[in-house]
Amino acid sequence: MNLDYAGLFHALRPETSLVVGALIILGLDLSIFRRHTPVERLNLALWIGALAVLAAAAHVWFAPEGPVFGGVLILDKLAMATRLGVLGLTLLTFGVASAAPAPRNPAEQVAIILFATTGFLLMAAAQQLLLAFLALELASLSLYVLAGFDKTRPESAEAALKYFLFGGMAAAFLLFGFSLIYGLTGSIELPQIAGQLFHVTLSPLLVVALVMVLVAFGFKAAAAPFHLWAPDVYEGAPTSSAALIASASKLAGFTLFARLFWREFGAVAGSVSSAHGEPGWLPAVAVIAAVSMLIGNFGALAQSNVRRLLAYSAIAHAGNLLLGVIAAGDAGPAPFYYYAATYGLATVGAFGVIAVAERAGPCQKITDLAGLHRRSPLLAGCLAVFVLSLAGIPPLAGFFGKFTVFSAALQMGGLAGPAGWLAMLAIALSALALYYYLVILKQALVAKPAPDAAPIAVPAIAKLALVLAAGLIVLFGVNPSLLLGLF
Amino acid sequence: MDAHPYAFLALFAAIAVAFPVILLSVAQLWFRFFQPAKPSADKGAAYECGVTPTGDSWIQFKAHYYLYAILFLIFDVELLFLLPFAVAFTGLSAGALATMLVFIFLLAEGLVWAWHRGHLEWK
Amino acid sequence: MNALPCTIYVSFLGAVLALVAGMRSPGTARWVALLSALLAWGIALSAAVNFVPGPGLETIVNHPWIPSMGIRYHLAVDGISLTLIILTGIAATAGILFSWNIEERAGEFFALFLALIGGVYGVFLSADAFTLFVFYEIAIVPKYFLIAIWGSTNREYGAMKLVLYSFAGSALVLAGLLWAYAAAGAHSFGLHDLATAATHFSHSQQLGMFALVFLGFAVLAGMFPFHTWAPTGHVAAPTAASMLLAGVVMKLGAYGCLRVAMTIFPTGLAFWQPTIACLAIIGIIYAGLVALVQDDFKFVIGYSSVSHMGFVLLGLAAANAQAVSGAVLQMFSHGVVAGLLFAVVGRMVYERTHTRQLADLRAMPLHRLLPFAAAVFVVAGLASMGMPGFSGFPAELTILIGTWKTSPLWATFAAAGVLVAAAFTLRVIQVSFFGSASIADGRKAAPAHPLPPITLAEKAGALVLVASTVLIGLKPDLLLDWINPALQSPLFQAVLKGGKP
Repeated sequence: MNLDYAGLFHALRPETSLVVGALIILGLDLSIFRRHTPVERLNLALWIGALAVLAAAAHVWFAPEGPVFGGVLILDKLAMATRLGVLGLTLLTFGVASAAPAPRNPAEQVAIILFATTGFLLMAAAQQLLLAFLALELASLSLYVLAGFDKTRPESAEAALKYFLFGGMAAAFLLFGFSLIYGLTGSIELPQIAGQLFHVTLSPLLVVALVMVLVAFGFKAAAAPFHLWAPDVYEGAPTSSAALIASASKLAGFTLFARLFWREFGAVAGSVSSAHGEPGWLPAVAVIAAVSMLIGNFGALAQSNVRRLLAYSAIAHAGNLLLGVIAAGDAGPAPFYYYAATYGLATVGAFGVIAVAERAGPCQKITDLAGLHRRSPLLAGCLAVFVLSLAGIPPLAGFFGKFTVFSAALQMGGLAGPAGWLAMLAIALSALALYYYLVILKQALVAKPAPDAAPIAVPAIAKLALVLAAGLIVLFGVNPSLLLGLF
Repeated sequence: MDAHPYAFLALFAAIAVAFPVILLSVAQLWFRFFQPAKPSADKGAAYECGVTPTGDSWIQFKAHYYLYAILFLIFDVELLFLLPFAVAFTGLSAGALATMLVFIFLLAEGLVWAWHRGHLEWK
Repeated sequence: MNALPCTIYVSFLGAVLALVAGMRSPGTARWVALLSALLAWGIALSAAVNFVPGPGLETIVNHPWIPSMGIRYHLAVDGISLTLIILTGIAATAGILFSWNIEERAGEFFALFLALIGGVYGVFLSADAFTLFVFYEIAIVPKYFLIAIWGSTNREYGAMKLVLYSFAGSALVLAGLLWAYAAAGAHSFGLHDLATAATHFSHSQQLGMFALVFLGFAVLAGMFPFHTWAPTGHVAAPTAASMLLAGVVMKLGAYGCLRVAMTIFPTGLAFWQPTIACLAIIGIIYAGLVALVQDDFKFVIGYSSVSHMGFVLLGLAAANAQAVSGAVLQMFSHGVVAGLLFAVVGRMVYERTHTRQLADLRAMPLHRLLPFAAAVFVVAGLASMGMPGFSGFPAELTILIGTWKTSPLWATFAAAGVLVAAAFTLRVIQVSFFGSASIADGRKAAPAHPLPPITLAEKAGALVLVASTVLIGLKPDLLLDWINPALQSPLFQAVLKGGKP
């Protein structure tokens, strides 16, 4: 086997940039900046991290398309779009981190975010089971650490433990599923597996393998009924970690999910576009999507904690994203990519607002946001953009995301099959969802501030990140072709 | 008649369930019919190599050693990958050597970081 | 003609400017808002002067928006949309004049107000279903904040109910449109293209799509039994917002029914016609009877809006040239008249007497305390009842004649609704303005000191509205000459012929 190491190093320049950036951050923090205050160390780490991310983005942009290292990685349009999206979301997460109080180990936090991002980038391009698993675990392990990064709060430790236990379980399922697939087909390369499965009917062992992989991705994506960790993690984890878990990790995860299932198991997809669907993994995904939409939306109605509300809304959005993955077979990856990327933008932004608001007092309950318009008009305005985008109000990007996903799902056969009805369910539930989003905005924009509530000063970097995120949401909403044009 | 290719799985499962069930029920039957109940303080105590235990079994002990365990893991994993690499070394290209060097560099960097942060000092 | 899209842009720009100006002082924001609204109205009027009525939509702007999905930014105008654009200009200007007393968060108020107006202009100008839907939803969200922040009685409940009803309606519309788009092969969202494609759909598909889209829009038009958001919303809203809600936003729903649901799926209309007419008639009579027994002045007007919108829906359901043109005329007329009624109740009376209970108002000799308000309200009431000389008369008459041609039974019931309208209007005029001080039995007696006089801004706003209703009442041909040619377009002809080509 003739392996092209030069090509590999060439193709991995984005990842290399990130890792080198992380190492520089750790090195500088241990040597020159050892005696500085945590805030200064955090800011330095964030600036270097931002440079590393920008360098990685430049490398992604100029990378040639095609398979790498004998097809271990594939740099196609979806990989490039996902990588750019992940890097952008990471950059905004840095903005969130700059607004939050500096942790005890600021440099390590930024470095671990960069390691997680490295994992996301590899997930976006992986075309081999082993690499997919390693990339997923690199990202997940980094995220477990990030979830528990605030050592002073027991909630953070609880979040990390829950996330770790659920995630570890999911990883075990995934590995078991992968090993069964390897046993069935004798290969870990997606194209070869697809070629092998093309002749195979749905054998019991294949069903077990599919279920294992599906369960694992259900855990990772926080889709119901595997969603139980999400509310506690969103509530307990430090704000920047929650932002990363909710945004970049979702985007990379769904890309990997779609690539894996459509490229590898395309032959056993089954059908959900007509009343007499064939069995396969599509009907199972459709069920998970429907349950996620229902549990997410109805669960969110009952929340009084803004982070838990965002978690349930994330579950509901995961249902919509799964619908996008279902539709990706016919419509291509553009709809669910657009949805995931703009959803990530809005979520990062919402967590950014929470992070800034936390500088002036606790921000857990929805009522903690009361009178935000008086305390900081900029924050309130940005929050309105993010939340309305999550709710799917035009001209914000969240609307077009829903629109394109639902229309792709309906094009699979109209209302003749479950896919169309799933889209109808999602549309109906989006009307319900507006209620709990408006509950947040009611506190932020309508209610009067508590008597002892101080005005909130927004740091310059956070201001930049929030305005950038809000601006991008409006821009992508008004001109969706900017993102769709990546494909 | 050919057995189903997965029939052995069912057989395994049956044995896996039956084995502990049989053992446990035999123990239970033995206890029921042959063993007189004579509880005592020594019998109820925590088992400690046959010696009479001293003090409370719920003591705290320092968990600091886990850092050493993790650092040890670095070298453990390194060995795991280096050995096959060394065996096949003569047949490998320069790119493979560079890749392995990157791997060792990353591991070494982790050790240096832990050392600088003072995690190697027993406190 | 080409300047009409500027109404949208001017409104949105005005919203941003008003927000910025509001940080300086409420006064600046007011003037910025008024000038933006006047400018937009002026653009609409100047476009109307040069308008040559003709069949079919006259395209103004048409360029690709999202090429991969066949979505175009397509703005076009015909006589029907022009009528409603003029109405929007009137309602927006009058609404700003009647909110001249807003001091708290004035910049945000006018920004939301103008954003809503911009969305409304956009809906009336759109010839692409996607564009129309986007503008339609843009007009929904500002309503929540307008009501929840600056509203009165039970405002947060009213606001939430209104927005959830509207959004549920728009979800139905979205579902129907996406279904049609997907079934048509996902090539285009143009109204004309969808209508052409819809002729190839199966009968049951057309019925289903029509039901979704029509019902979705009809929720916003206040169709019985989905009208309950309207009275609570109107009562909770600040004056200018109720004027817009009743005057313009409910028209969005009716316009959507006509422009989207009926023209794309004429076969669906033919099937659902009796159901819609039946609901419309129930709405007319039921809402009128409810208005007859209300204790709250504003609830009377709120239910009267539902009753009058019933006429619009009846006209649409009757689906002949006369009934539909009458319905459009009624949209205009009700927009002006409801604005006037809400202005008198919410701004002139409530802001001065601080009560809307008819029993309290009865104890005040308001016709002597507020003669101007009384005069305006009498005019508005007469127009609302459909007295000759005011815009309500030609509108309701045309609808009734048109409906008679389709079904004399419907027309008879609707005519009974006119009587009910006369009854509740006369009752409320009598009780609120011409009560006598002698029956003050422990109620809030006449105020000790004289009420503040009617301001110049209020007078200007009232005069604009009164002039509009009288002008159209005396010369309805001004609008009918625009509306009738528009109904000659192939799309509307298909509607009028009951879906047969």
